[in-house]
Amino acid sequence: MNVKIGLEIHCRIETKSKMFCSCPSDVEKARPNEFTCPICLGFPGSKPKANIEAIKKALMIAKALNCKISEVVLFSRKSYFYCDLAKNYQISQFEMPLGRNGYVELSNKKIRIKEIHIEEDPAKLVHVGKSINEAEYVLIDYNRSGIPLVEIVTEPDFSSTKEVREFLSKLSSILEHLGVYDPMKEASMRVDANVSIEGGERIEIKNITGFANVEKALSYEIARQYSLIKTGVKVERETRHWDEKMKATVSLRKKEVEEDYGYIFDPDLVKIETTGLIKEIENRMPELPDERIKRFVRDYGILEEQAKVIILVDKKLADFFEECAKIYKDYRKLARWVVVDLLKCLNWNNIRIGQSKVEKEKFVKLLEMIDRKVITERLAKEIIKEFVATGKDPEKIVEEKGLQPVGKEDIENVVELVLKENQKAVEDYMNGNEVALNFLVGVALKKLKTRGDPKLIKSLLIEKIKSLNS
Amino acid sequence: MKVRSVREFLEEAKSESFDLDGFLEKVVRSCKKIQEEYSPFITIVEKPSKSKNRGKLPYLPISVKDNICTKGIQTTAGSKILEGYIPPFDATCVENVLREGGLIIGKTAMDEFGFGTFTTNCYYSIPKNPIDKRRVCGGSSGGAACLTLAADFPHIAIAQSTGGSIACPSSFTGTVGLTPTYGLVSRFGLIDYANSLDKIGCIGKEVYDVALLLSIIAGYDEKDSTSINKEKTDYTKFLEENVKGLKVAIPREYFEGVDQEISQRVWDGIKILERIGIEYEEVSLPLTRYALPSYYIIAMAEASTNLAKFCGLRYGLSLELKGNFNEYFSEVREVGFGEEAKRRVMLGTFVRMAGYRDAYYLKALKVRKLIINEFKKVFSKFDAIVAPTMPIVAPRFEDVEKLEPVEVYMMDVLTVPPELAGLPNISIPCGYVRNLPVGMHLIGDHFQEGKILKIAYNFEREWRK
Ligand SMILES: [Zn+2]
Repeated sequence: MNVKIGLEIHCRIETKSKMFCSCPSDVEKARPNEFTCPICLGFPGSKPKANIEAIKKALMIAKALNCKISEVVLFSRKSYFYCDLAKNYQISQFEMPLGRNGYVELSNKKIRIKEIHIEEDPAKLVHVGKSINEAEYVLIDYNRSGIPLVEIVTEPDFSSTKEVREFLSKLSSILEHLGVYDPMKEASMRVDANVSIEGGERIEIKNITGFANVEKALSYEIARQYSLIKTGVKVERETRHWDEKMKATVSLRKKEVEEDYGYIFDPDLVKIETTGLIKEIENRMPELPDERIKRFVRDYGILEEQAKVIILVDKKLADFFEECAKIYKDYRKLARWVVVDLLKCLNWNNIRIGQSKVEKEKFVKLLEMIDRKVITERLAKEIIKEFVATGKDPEKIVEEKGLQPVGKEDIENVVELVLKENQKAVEDYMNGNEVALNFLVGVALKKLKTRGDPKLIKSLLIEKIKSLNS
Repeated sequence: MKVRSVREFLEEAKSESFDLDGFLEKVVRSCKKIQEEYSPFITIVEKPSKSKNRGKLPYLPISVKDNICTKGIQTTAGSKILEGYIPPFDATCVENVLREGGLIIGKTAMDEFGFGTFTTNCYYSIPKNPIDKRRVCGGSSGGAACLTLAADFPHIAIAQSTGGSIACPSSFTGTVGLTPTYGLVSRFGLIDYANSLDKIGCIGKEVYDVALLLSIIAGYDEKDSTSINKEKTDYTKFLEENVKGLKVAIPREYFEGVDQEISQRVWDGIKILERIGIEYEEVSLPLTRYALPSYYIIAMAEASTNLAKFCGLRYGLSLELKGNFNEYFSEVREVGFGEEAKRRVMLGTFVRMAGYRDAYYLKALKVRKLIINEFKKVFSKFDAIVAPTMPIVAPRFEDVEKLEPVEVYMMDVLTVPPELAGLPNISIPCGYVRNLPVGMHLIGDHFQEGKILKIAYNFEREWRK
């Protein structure tokens, strides 16, 4: 059975002020309703004024997604009554979206972008106490009201959650490279997903926040629809909501007809020609992920797979890699350490490089310590855990934990001690049990706090055991 | 008692010995008396704030239509749903008046949100025509025209028009009503009826007054995207200019269905124009009959979205929080809106619904373009168009009550075409029918306020002789 998924992605555009007023749009740390004015509160007599910077940034996105760009920017009123809308209509685009017919290239297919348009964010609703269906009342925070958004609408081209994941991470990287998007901000990307399985009708899942949740919601929904179809129940059109606490999609409403938003042109806003703006942004278009991946492979000689991880996971990680590459020339080793160990530790701590205390000089120092054989790779893999968590100088970590390099003599002493303390294992080995030898190596390494070359330890062990025998 | 003209007053007010407190006291007392007699106000300002700057309108009493926001002064747009609403900001035009030293003395009555032709569709006071109290003042800026005529002190009114709401009451009260080109006066602070049609203008006793006030309120405002970036102009300087050799067009369609006697008075007016050297020629504007339906479709489509924000959440009428928000919104709107507002919300929603949108809303937008083109053709040969302002003189209240909604809409048939095209227009008194004033309508090309003002001014001087 075929799965078809289409996405509508609402993404905040980073700007100084809101889309139609001069309130600051960086409302993360503001008190509820602190950054509001008569315009974003929809007071009678107030008039919107389009934020040209936001339009330019949206144009950059349209361009980066290979869209055909409209000659004029026109805004429309999308009317519906909901308590998060200050005017009970949302200023959006309808007749002429900013961009049309674009695409994003994934590793195995192209995802078509149907359109991209600008709109204003509604206010934030806080459902007090319970879930969306049960809360007794809601509080409204208009700080979010009027923050510029782009809505990116894809064709239903996805056939798996894996493709959705790849797409979202690429999209996020593109937006980050454009400098128009901050993935760290609350609800900076919200996704509505349409999911249908052959034989069933389309289900819309509204307002999923965060990549991880998109995947979970889609997996849940696909499984749910499969089991319905298997048991012979018809999947009917409806709108559902992803409940994070229940880890399930919950029905919001049955959908009998298309919603009618009664669009009219917003008569408070004037037509804006894009020709001049496009010229301006063309000079501002930065290097985008696809080009950057190619350049990483070409200039640093690293594997394409590594370049993809570094660049698509997080633009700041790619920036970090390039900063390190200026002062550390073994690029392949650098790439390996970034892709495997650094990323693993960041994920373990559930942070992004930008949020961590990791500094490039100290990270490079760690690699150089391996090169100088001050520490083993194995030890380095231990040290990096603390380094990522605390940002401490790796040399300091070595010093504090007493991990200074050991000499051959120290190793010999430890080996002797180990043999003495593990008679049974020694006997086992002498009786032909090779595993026992590995055990002994492990014990020795532990005693040495992972310092010392395991190969050397092994050969010393064999040597000593032999001498014991003779 | 002779009422001083605005011009005379401004000379006096410049003097250091001017007794402001005494003057203010008299004005407030007078307003209260007029209110008892004709009720043009929704709110009388007891203590107008006095600007330190004497500017170009020193201490001149200015009234403001109640759909224009005044900081700290109740602004209702004539609707119950905004009862007690005190705006946190001044409309740009009010700011401009205050900066030039004008005094805001009150907020004038209007049809709810401007939805009406007689200022009888009112939750607050219904103004009575000072010429005959049994008759209406016209609308929707009825309070403004009523006060302008009744005031025994120097005064100019800030009014507002969407489809004739300045011209109509001016015509019914024998005052001068100027509606400027769309975009000339900032709409920032105007509670919207139909944003692509709304214009703020003025009503005065004479042409000089409206030219003066327009000079203060017109001008680019970055807070209104539809405001036109034009240099500040002193419109009074056009008044004395020569009008000889100007040509006006008399559109045949504008005399059809008009009271015979009214047509006659307007033709008398045209003869006066001829006497002062203005040529005239009859023309035809065949698209005229499409203007009214297009206007009402666009106006109602926009109005129905504008009125959506009134839902009892942030300002204005609020009720006990009961039920879910849909139930709450509906209850607030049920209680807060009058019948005509509800009718326009429903009609306006209908014409923009999927399936009807193309046939109504989008088609009306196309028709508007055609009508603008038709006017533009006339203005390539003529300096102005002259027509009757209204097809009737001020009717009695009881006659208005008998009218069906569509018959009321039909009253706007002459004012709507130029308003739909965003053209500047002035209504000036040109005679009387059964002792009731008749308005002559001068319509100019976009931004040709100066031209129609000077025609009006020269006409007024000649007519008074
Ligand atoms: Zn704001």
